[in-house]
Amino acid sequence: MIDAAFMGETFLKLLEGLPLTLKLTFSSVSLGLLVAMLLAAMRLSGVWLLDGFARGYVFVFRGTPLLVQIFLIYYGLGQFRPELQAMNLWGFFREPYWCALLALTLNTAAYVSEILRGGLQSVPLGQIEAARACGMSQFLLYRRIIAPIAFRQALPGYGNEIILMVKATSLASIITMMEVTGIAHKLISQTFRAIEIFICAGAIYLILNFLVTRAIQALEHRLSPHLRQAPVPAQRLEPAMSSGDDR
Amino acid sequence: MSIFSLMSLGPDGWGLAMLAAAGVTLSVAACGFVIGSVIGAFVAWVKLSGGALARAAADAYTTVLRGIPDLLIIYLFYFGGSALLSSIAALFGPGGFVGVSGFAAGAAAIGIISGAYQSEVFRGAYTALSRGEIEAAKSVGMHRALLFRRIIAPQVLRYAIPGLGNVWQLALKESALVSVTGLVELLRQSAIGAGSTREPFSFYLAAAVLYLAITTVSSWGFRRAESYSMRGVRRT
Amino acid sequence: MTLLSTPAVSIRDLRKSFGALEVLRGISLSAAEGQVISILGSSGSGKSTMLRCINMLETPDAGEIAIGGEVIALRKGRRGRTEPADRAQVDRIRSRVAMVFQSFNLWSHMTVLENVIEAPIHVQKRPRAECIEEAEALLAKVGIVDKRNHYPAHLSGGQQQRAAIARALAMKPKLMLFDEPTSALDPELVGEVLRVMRSLAEEGRTMLVVTHEMGFARDVSSRVVFLHKGMVEEDGPPGEVFIAPTSPRFRQFISEHH
Repeated sequence: MIDAAFMGETFLKLLEGLPLTLKLTFSSVSLGLLVAMLLAAMRLSGVWLLDGFARGYVFVFRGTPLLVQIFLIYYGLGQFRPELQAMNLWGFFREPYWCALLALTLNTAAYVSEILRGGLQSVPLGQIEAARACGMSQFLLYRRIIAPIAFRQALPGYGNEIILMVKATSLASIITMMEVTGIAHKLISQTFRAIEIFICAGAIYLILNFLVTRAIQALEHRLSPHLRQAPVPAQRLEPAMSSGDDR
Repeated sequence: MSIFSLMSLGPDGWGLAMLAAAGVTLSVAACGFVIGSVIGAFVAWVKLSGGALARAAADAYTTVLRGIPDLLIIYLFYFGGSALLSSIAALFGPGGFVGVSGFAAGAAAIGIISGAYQSEVFRGAYTALSRGEIEAAKSVGMHRALLFRRIIAPQVLRYAIPGLGNVWQLALKESALVSVTGLVELLRQSAIGAGSTREPFSFYLAAAVLYLAITTVSSWGFRRAESYSMRGVRRT
Repeated sequence: MTLLSTPAVSIRDLRKSFGALEVLRGISLSAAEGQVISILGSSGSGKSTMLRCINMLETPDAGEIAIGGEVIALRKGRRGRTEPADRAQVDRIRSRVAMVFQSFNLWSHMTVLENVIEAPIHVQKRPRAECIEEAEALLAKVGIVDKRNHYPAHLSGGQQQRAAIARALAMKPKLMLFDEPTSALDPELVGEVLRVMRSLAEEGRTMLVVTHEMGFARDVSSRVVFLHKGMVEEDGPPGEVFIAPTSPRFRQFISEHH
């Protein structure tokens, strides 16, 4: 039933799309992190206007499908071609790669800013006060105390978001980008052997996401020595989520 | 033409077509979500009480479905389903190509994806149950079915509502991908309008607003359901 | 009590281990109708496990339990562990034996009234109106009828335990089991629960009470059983065992728990 030679051939063809998948993931994840930090800072700034803008941004980008955002940027902005040409921006918005990257970046920034905000708010007030009490400046406080604790706290959620982004890059194929899913689609419409091609493409994404998961786990392990070296062996921790009735 | 006259509900506007397409979006997402609930409940049950082999299979299902792009799964159901139907049809004579409907492929794909997420939601909710309350039910002589129906199911559902809300939002957004099958849901309808009026921004903006309205109303609904179901747990 | 009447509950040579730990090492005990037996013992003596075996929340490894003369059928299941032979019998017996738990275990998604009428309606299949009427009378009896539409989480511990007692009474049980009913309560709330239990004893109900309340054991119960390391160490009316204990361990236990 399953044709090994065809599978091998398919796998190699699909791998040709891997560099683009990786490039889109890496660029959008790192640029998205920058935008997200900006958004989180706006949310926590206490300035009504900045906070409101960041709230609205997160609401809109999380409340609509990524594909709609991609279409709005790639096809939608074409409606304003003369204006964009006048601003010398048409070269950017004409390219599906830049449009996909922009949409992915703006989209992930919305989710990551909420993850970061959660991490920042989880820093115990007492530890912040202790840092202030020994004379740390606001900048030093953020750099030495708040950022490390918040980052450790946000890491699992951030890892999930990276995996979602690996998967989300597949949507770039709908605006003609030939990354792994784009090639898979082309092969399916040429051969109609959807199942074999699906297995090959799926395997590539699973391996990719497995590596991401492992990398995040290793980072988590490195960043939490305080949770590892328990002085008392065999100390049992109560489950974090217990039902309120078991008193 | 301004976006408001473009989207008017009158005979010259696209408003009604867009609303109807939003209805299709809602239906395909809802069908997928319900299929996902059935799969999710079954898989959660396997994870909680199955043998080692069944549990491994259930874990593999969630890992695989959560690690593969949704778009690929939709392609699998649409093209793979059509290939399967065609080969079945070929058994009954020369039929040629038989296509799966975009709606069916989309609902099935959303179902199997959201089933993976829902199984984790249900499993988590089950483990949050109080053992003592289950013992109390046994101590008054409830048999298994009654225990499940009166005590376990309502409480699992209660703990699962926030998680189910998130999965529903995912299903809604996944439904936009079903447009690749040609199903005229909201995004596809926008593309049609954009093509025939040469005003793509207006149409995709209108689509975004409609999606936003649907997600906002449904998250409000889930919050209401959560606070109603938690009325006995938190102090009012 | 006559020799002819069937005991409400009789236990013969009950054994139960958890892994390598032997918790019950051959307990025999029988309670006549109307008796109130206080079961004392330090923690780990097996008193809660014994109580939980009586309504099959734990399945004994060996021995025999009979409720109102009906022996609970056990069989060897897979991997050599005992299990109830007939689930329907277990459910039937459980609906005649009510249990009050240390941690109340009220169903958190139901109001107090719903908790009380749940089993009568759905297990005993009695008419709803009748159940509600009885439930309200029971809630009045335990003094929380005004809380009938509250959820358990909104009640104090003492009120929750009284609701749990009303829930147990609604089954019209032949036998009531109390598993340390006041141990999870703040000291100032213990009294209200003990008062309800005393009134039940005075009605002539058959009760098995695992407790640390020496006052209740001495003044209310008709018999005191002291367990030690999974065996019955002392057994007799409170008037005798508290004044002249035969077991030195029980004597020590009394002096420690005064």
